[in-house]
Amino acid sequence: MAVSEPRTRLVFHDELESLEGEVLSMFDLVVGMVDRAVECVLNQDVELARMVIESDDRVDGRYLDVNQGLLNLIALQAPVATDLRLVFALLYTNVHVERIGDLCVNIAKLVPLAGETPPIVPELLELIEKMGPQTRSQIEQAKLALQNRDADLAEHLVIQDDVLDDLNKEIFRKALTIGTDEDRREWAMHMTLIGRYLERIGDHTVDIGEQTAFVVTGEFREFTDASARKNTAPRP
Amino acid sequence: MAWKVKEEPAPGGAAPDVTPQGEHAPTGAQNIFELQAVSVRYSGNLAVKEVGFGVPTNRITALIGASGCGKSTLLRCLNRMNDLIPGARVEGTITYKGQDLYSPRVDPVQVRKRIGMVFQKPNPFPKSIFDNVAFGPRVLGMKEDINLLVENALRRASLWDEVKDRLKDSALGMSGGQQQRLCIARAIATEPDVILMDEPCSALDPISTARIEDLMNELKDRYTIVIVTHNMQQAARVSDKTAYFSVEVGDNDRRYGRLIEYDDTERIFTNPSDQRTEDYVTGKVG
Repeated sequence: MAVSEPRTRLVFHDELESLEGEVLSMFDLVVGMVDRAVECVLNQDVELARMVIESDDRVDGRYLDVNQGLLNLIALQAPVATDLRLVFALLYTNVHVERIGDLCVNIAKLVPLAGETPPIVPELLELIEKMGPQTRSQIEQAKLALQNRDADLAEHLVIQDDVLDDLNKEIFRKALTIGTDEDRREWAMHMTLIGRYLERIGDHTVDIGEQTAFVVTGEFREFTDASARKNTAPRP
Repeated sequence: MAWKVKEEPAPGGAAPDVTPQGEHAPTGAQNIFELQAVSVRYSGNLAVKEVGFGVPTNRITALIGASGCGKSTLLRCLNRMNDLIPGARVEGTITYKGQDLYSPRVDPVQVRKRIGMVFQKPNPFPKSIFDNVAFGPRVLGMKEDINLLVENALRRASLWDEVKDRLKDSALGMSGGQQQRLCIARAIATEPDVILMDEPCSALDPISTARIEDLMNELKDRYTIVIVTHNMQQAARVSDKTAYFSVEVGDNDRRYGRLIEYDDTERIFTNPSDQRTEDYVTGKVG
């Protein structure tokens, strides 16, 4: 039996743990942003939209700190093996989470453009309303999978993401049949963009899942082949 | 008190105030050493030319550079070890806690009590583990309880749990990594402010090296550490500040060392200011 040595490189491992904690806390920030972004669309809440836009500064600030911290860790500590994989996974995850924040800003920026009394089509809003909790759930699942180094939970995000993809396609189909009224068409176009942004957030959660699987298995692979056509449904 | 001064009066007037500056003040942001235009010559030959920088208190400062750049020479200036080398001469000014380290009134023995040193190769005395640590305090006539003093030093050196049941055993029976930690315990037994380390891990395996590096990080809460290392990655891992020295060639084809860049370690290893530093840390030049 091998002699167990005491834990070493304490500074390095403490720093890596701290940076992972920073990244995990960013998930919580963007979950809140997604909730508020969807809520401000549903309620045409311009004030809430402004808050979503402002809150992105916090995500961006943390993104920069984590990026610099990981850069320093690579330069100073020369991580290897699982530690190296985790550092690179955190670098990529950091970018994905920051992009989720940006997409929430994109959603919030569309709210004032819709006008105070937009020509709302309830069926479209209902689809957006369904996408909100689904998006939140995927972000939380991506976080949990990374936190627990759970490759199976990470890969399960692909199945989860099909729900968002389908809802997004549904929004697109309904928007096509919105009619000829210019205001309604413009509003519907905004809704298709919002659907698209939420669907993109879903894609980011899958990408984060791929990073988690990389940390666990040591092999990087894409869960799905983006160029393969799964069905013949119209692509938005 | 930083160190005792010799009894003879200062040449040319009244004895200056020898109370060290800031000894009881918060020391986090202060420099314990200030070097100004420090040059070192061996038998008249220049070894280090006009080095100037400050060593911050309770931080780890690394001196890096190729062989012959004078980093070990400079390290030895910080506790007047060069005094022991015939023909060595130190020019410029080195202050320790605001006092001129090379003042004729300063007792080098007291300097080395306050500024301890750990060498490349572990060099325990052929005595028991206990006697190795107790050696310095006994020689210096320290009045504290020697058992407590030895235990404290061994604890701070992360060695106590491994040796507490065999303190009377010979230190020469310890592993290399343990011997080096014993040397660190021996250095801190005299309650220094500064520990100078001259390539302290170059004779150790990776695990022992990692333990010494972890220990350095623990020790910096109480001590200022200056380390010379050939291992650039070690400097990156452990230090807060890094000084890079290059080897220059003089008119007479003699080589001497010169400070090129001194900055936060993160800066040196991610975005150095000087191209020569960049070339060294990226391995483009030896």
